[in-house]
Amino acid sequence: MIDPALVQSVIRILFAVVIVTAAYIISTRNLISLVSVYALQSLTLVLMALALWSLEGATVLLAIAAVTFVSKVLIIPYFIASIQERIRIRRDIEFHFLSPTTSLLLSMALILFIYIALANILEGTPARESLFFFGAVIGLSLMLMGMMVTFSRKRAITKVLGYLSMENGVLLFGMFVTELPFIIEFLIIIDLVILVMLTTILTVGLDSTLEEYHQRLHRFHLVGDTEDGP
Amino acid sequence: MILAAFVLVAAAALAAIALGRTHRQMNSACIAEAAIFLVLSVWLILSSQIPMTSLAIGNEFFFIDHLGLYEVLIATVIFLLAAVYARGYVENLIEARELSRGSLKLFYGAWAFLLLVIVLAFFSDNLALFWIFTELTTVISAMLVAILYARDNIDAAIKYIFIASVSMLFSFVGLIFLFEISRSVVGTGTLNWTVLMQQAGSFPPGMVIAAFALIFIGFAAKSGIFPFHTWLPEAHVRAPSAVSAILSGVLLNVGIYGIIRVFAIVHRTTAVSTVSLLLLVFGLLTVFIAALSMLPQKKLKKLIAFSSVENMGILLIGLAVATPLALFWVLFHVMAHAFTKAGLFFSAGILHRQYHSTLSPDAVDDMRDVFTLQPVAAWGIVLGGLAITGMPLFPIFLSKFFLLVQLAGFSPVALVILLVLLFIAAGAFGYFVIRTFTQVSGSGAHAEIVRYQTPAGMNLPVIVLLVLTLILGTVITSGEVAFLNQIVAELMF
Repeated sequence: MIDPALVQSVIRILFAVVIVTAAYIISTRNLISLVSVYALQSLTLVLMALALWSLEGATVLLAIAAVTFVSKVLIIPYFIASIQERIRIRRDIEFHFLSPTTSLLLSMALILFIYIALANILEGTPARESLFFFGAVIGLSLMLMGMMVTFSRKRAITKVLGYLSMENGVLLFGMFVTELPFIIEFLIIIDLVILVMLTTILTVGLDSTLEEYHQRLHRFHLVGDTEDGP
Repeated sequence: MILAAFVLVAAAALAAIALGRTHRQMNSACIAEAAIFLVLSVWLILSSQIPMTSLAIGNEFFFIDHLGLYEVLIATVIFLLAAVYARGYVENLIEARELSRGSLKLFYGAWAFLLLVIVLAFFSDNLALFWIFTELTTVISAMLVAILYARDNIDAAIKYIFIASVSMLFSFVGLIFLFEISRSVVGTGTLNWTVLMQQAGSFPPGMVIAAFALIFIGFAAKSGIFPFHTWLPEAHVRAPSAVSAILSGVLLNVGIYGIIRVFAIVHRTTAVSTVSLLLLVFGLLTVFIAALSMLPQKKLKKLIAFSSVENMGILLIGLAVATPLALFWVLFHVMAHAFTKAGLFFSAGILHRQYHSTLSPDAVDDMRDVFTLQPVAAWGIVLGGLAITGMPLFPIFLSKFFLLVQLAGFSPVALVILLVLLFIAAGAFGYFVIRTFTQVSGSGAHAEIVRYQTPAGMNLPVIVLLVLTLILGTVITSGEVAFLNQIVAELMF
């Protein structure tokens, strides 16, 4: 067995990685790297689940790691990247309300706020151990940082990444605070995949004229070829 | 077992749609699905084994109780009528080139699947499972909104997805809280509603308030509660009217249903007074925003959409009162609102088919000679408007009246505010209808408006719903009362 103290410090390093990726997603204008950073963030979660598994030995964590790896490190980033290639947007420079600097400052404030709030709420419950408590704080912060991305960016595809990053936060929070049954985690992933597919396909529609949009739908085989018109 | 029947019927409907060649076949599959679902749920009521717990269905994730069945009943009736309505409506959308014939499969596939997901959501015992099905309803109904050939529809759908899904993630964090609460209290964590209800007495109030507040965010967004209502008017206006009726009559109920379920748990703890206050404040704010937004409205569907927001606010206020009688009328109001609102959207859809050629999507509704051109739809709007504002003979009169009486005992100040707001909303509706429907063009101009031949299948649902609401508003059977009382008892109020 691996030394628990080592595992704990590894988890702490991974926390830092998660926060850095979240900050990158908030501030970057480059869409291509956004997807790879998201994949990296998901990979960090996978590693964290594995580390936790070596500490606790719950097989649920192993299953979560596997499902997360397949869906969030491989399938979803691949899908978004291929959509991005089709719609040929490389940069998202439109921000709604917040500029990247303000968002970063805001997210620092958020982390502090969540730390204090959670310390109050979780007072006296078993979850109030240092590592697990930190996991909850980082999870919620990641979630709110993702929400800022969703509401401060104009392009739907960046919004999707914000949402995905939020969902990573929820997963992190759930992983550290409590043990959810695996079936629920699994269904959430399915929901996520459907949501991502739909929104990205709709994004294709937003970024093109309607005729092009329809042709593109054909290319994705979403629409049958029975069109004969009135 | 019975759930398997629902799933099989839906699968058969989906297969029929996938194989179907013509619009009629696909539409018939949807009608048949909703009709069989309706028969199944009526049979469930008559077979009187409710509440069915885990045994009958085979696992701990699903159960059937009176509340779930009641919601399913409402949902299937509306889906059935909407499917009948869609036959003529969608055909006209295709003729008007607003919908491509190629998208039909996607449209009806999503339609049939949506009904199944909604039924499964209402029959979920596990709250996390309910959460997932609710999430799926957002995604699928957004697909139905986006199906039309317009950029605005995609915009509205994306807004809907993001607001609802992002808020629903907060709900999920709330559910994790709830799970952790039950784990720290009982030892083994669970999200099964029936188990949580039994344990709720010993939950620590602070954690319960935090959990409820988080869960409330998501379900409030689903049911269009202020400040998360912003997606609602756009999605309802952009969607094809058959879909608007479903969005307003069924999907908003999903959110309210979630709030009712979780509130029932809170009601058993000492946190109930704080949470009631929260519900009351959000309810009043919602009615306030809705009433003020209705006042300057010049578009019929937007007016009806904001009226939905208003009614969701009323439901929250009724829930805040938290007496058994108030809950009874909240449940009644859910049904009354769903049927009335579906009828209104159906009528609005007919009027839009009549006048769409002269209108760009963003233009003010300029309707002339409604009573001569579309008598059924016009009367549908007039009578539906009377019903939704709460005139006697209609069911909303009963629920609004008794909710107000209950509110008087809870908070007289809130009662006064709510009365004023309801008056504003009713005034806005009346003003719109009187101004719009009295427009009569001169004898010379009459020729330029071509009469849209409304298929009987589109007029029929409007008439059925009007008759249904009239019956509901005038005759209250003892069976109905017993059924609603059963729900109140099961929620342990």
